[in-house]
Amino acid sequence: MATFKIGKVVLKSLFKKPATLMYPVVPREWQERTRGHVGINEADCIVCGICSKKCPANAITVDRKKRTWSIQRMQCIQCNSCVEACPKTCLTMENQYTEPGPEKVVDTYEIPKQEKKAAADDKKGGALKCNLEDCVYCGLCAKNCPCDALNVDRKEKVWKVDEGTCVSCGACVEKCPKKCLSLG
Amino acid sequence: MGKRTIIPFGPQHPVLPEPVHLDLVIEDETVIEAIPSIGFIHRGLEKLVEKKEYTEMVYVIERICGICSFGHGWGYCAAVEGAMDVEVPKRAEYLRTIWHELSRLHSHLLWLGLLADAFGFESLFMHCWRVRETILDILEKTTGGRVIFSVCKVGGVRKDIDNETLKEIVDTLKGMKKDIKALTDVFLEDKSSKNRLCGVGVLSKEDAIDLGAVGPVARGSGVVQDMRLAKGHGVYDELDFEPVIEEGGDCYARCKVRIGEVFQSIELIEKAVSKIPEGPISVEVKGNVEGEFVTRLEQPRGEAYYYAKGAGTKFLERMRVRTPTNQNIPALVKTLQGCDLADVPMLVLTIDPCISCTER
Repeated sequence: MATFKIGKVVLKSLFKKPATLMYPVVPREWQERTRGHVGINEADCIVCGICSKKCPANAITVDRKKRTWSIQRMQCIQCNSCVEACPKTCLTMENQYTEPGPEKVVDTYEIPKQEKKAAADDKKGGALKCNLEDCVYCGLCAKNCPCDALNVDRKEKVWKVDEGTCVSCGACVEKCPKKCLSLG
Repeated sequence: MGKRTIIPFGPQHPVLPEPVHLDLVIEDETVIEAIPSIGFIHRGLEKLVEKKEYTEMVYVIERICGICSFGHGWGYCAAVEGAMDVEVPKRAEYLRTIWHELSRLHSHLLWLGLLADAFGFESLFMHCWRVRETILDILEKTTGGRVIFSVCKVGGVRKDIDNETLKEIVDTLKGMKKDIKALTDVFLEDKSSKNRLCGVGVLSKEDAIDLGAVGPVARGSGVVQDMRLAKGHGVYDELDFEPVIEEGGDCYARCKVRIGEVFQSIELIEKAVSKIPEGPISVEVKGNVEGEFVTRLEQPRGEAYYYAKGAGTKFLERMRVRTPTNQNIPALVKTLQGCDLADVPMLVLTIDPCISCTER
């Protein structure tokens, strides 16, 4: 009996397709949700740096002066945290892995300058408000604003937000030492 | 009486998927005593809570281990949700349960393969992993990752599974049953497998309780202990869950428990899919963690314990995980006493050691 059983299995295995893929000759099928690598649409990026702050693996570096966005491909853990945090939804999770290679690759993207008006689309939160009673007019919010939408004058005690330019990304709210800023 | 010799076993050993070291004191071919030592892959992940925001820490916690990753993410989120008094939507709880059971399926199939490998049945090992691949495909399709899912978040889950895909999953799992049955029959009925499993490494019920064994190791010794029976852990109370219990206490019983759980997980997923309600998949969580909370859940390897403590900042003050392997090592040491040297790999494997979890 055992011979028949083994014979059946052997014959079945002989004519069955192999369980493994003949990779790379046969390409891998990517699922729609597969987290392969992070992609960026440079035209929409406002260099706010929120992605870099939210990255649990410290793989993203944003240089606002040079207007560059770089990612260490080997360090990125494809968790999707940056994609979720991006106020401009210019980051995407592509469903293909990056090419394997012998070196640790850092991909750097140049971010073009934007028209101020264009940055105002797709707001993340509500309008930016400031509790002027607590405000010390330190100007940290204006310094950290990725769209230069804030104007703070310490001498005149003026705090102004250009609502057309502000993208409600929350970068100023995070930096405010007096916690007097909020997104409506 | 032979001369006593100490044989070092591990941390690098062909049978061990992860590094654990045992000093085996042997006399002739019999193990008299086993002295374990761990700490080869400590990464200090718990300390990272002081540097990563509590919402991002879930990505780190998931990476404690590749096999129980969903459970770790869920346990952490449940602990933080408890401390913040957040109520998770019902659909999210169902989805978490479905993903957790899929993780259990792939973990147990992986373990069955490793067990076959440990007793020298290479082709059975390959077949177990072939079947497991289908589960990984389902997980990749629904979450985006094969082993690290990143779908659990504080307040719910990140991704939904539409009803059509849920139906597809159930159909796939139903189709797999025949394949799995063919494999598990070899473990339970084949003479050569039984030769290596039956009567090896017996752990009595009393010893299992005294040594604090958890999971399939305890259930294989007849101890009714399963965190899925506890209220507030997923939606198991709505799925008529009954734990799989075996009385033998040997490797065969532990293997049988896990095989029973493979089929049980498929049934639980079928039931969950038939009962899943419509609705939101997450709630918005505002503010920071203040206070502390403890939660427990049933990982594929047994009961895991999660503790979170916050002091009102965006970073947690303390995070603690106690993993099932940590609890099962005393039971392993006990079963190793008096066994044959040739059975040591089998015994080490039947507790399903996960050293990455244990050392974090």
